[in-house]
Amino acid sequence: MYKASLQFGATTDNLPIIRHFVQTHLRNHIPSSVTLNQITVAIEELCANSILHGNAEDPQKELRLELRLQGDKLHIYLYDPAPPYDIHSYPSEPTLLRADTNRPGGFGIYLIRRIIDKIHIKRRRGGSSVYHMVKQLSHESKS
Amino acid sequence: MQIELLSGSTDTHLKLALSGELDAITAPKLYENLNRLLQQHTKVQQITLNCRGLTYLSSAGAGILLMSIDNFTPKGITLELTEVQPEVYNILDLLGLTKLMPVNHV
Repeated sequence: MYKASLQFGATTDNLPIIRHFVQTHLRNHIPSSVTLNQITVAIEELCANSILHGNAEDPQKELRLELRLQGDKLHIYLYDPAPPYDIHSYPSEPTLLRADTNRPGGFGIYLIRRIIDKIHIKRRRGGSSVYHMVKQLSHESKS
Repeated sequence: MQIELLSGSTDTHLKLALSGELDAITAPKLYENLNRLLQQHTKVQQITLNCRGLTYLSSAGAGILLMSIDNFTPKGITLELTEVQPEVYNILDLLGLTKLMPVNHV
């Protein structure tokens, strides 16, 4: 099993670092650049949601991203100090204009659902959460 | 993210090169830049964004492109993307944006 982890503060300045971490550790295991990019996007979207919404961009809040390659499955864990939100409760299609912000919404979660095969969410003792996403790598792309 | 006005632009057709990464940090800057250019070029009917140098697009970037279409269409301005990298095209396609605007890939 290949395993790598990254600890980061809840600030959007860390999004490029997260992308670099994912691509550096998975490049040798995922030959398709399109699939590698899809996975990078799905992970960044998950992290961005936690940074922006769960932790209100508080750089003192520490999150941990863990990648585990087991056989032909990629397991992605995000350990988040904030309480979980239910990805499954969001509309299945993105909203072109959200009534509250007058901007497009739901694109990130829609992308996660299109790219990732399984998502498990757990509330941990003390109110923190773990997001566990699974990507089957033998499928080149779900699109 | 960088945006550059290309030679060959006319009063009615802006040709721009978009490069770098379009994410939650950089996407608002693209929107500001496009709107500033439209204030400077009031006769524009078409904007072509050459995306050969665009290496990454997140949902925030896609959202800004969609907001731009919504903003430009009532003004009679069309937005098209050219020479999009396969990785970026795939994300636009997953989101359905390739059906909402002209997009061609390298």
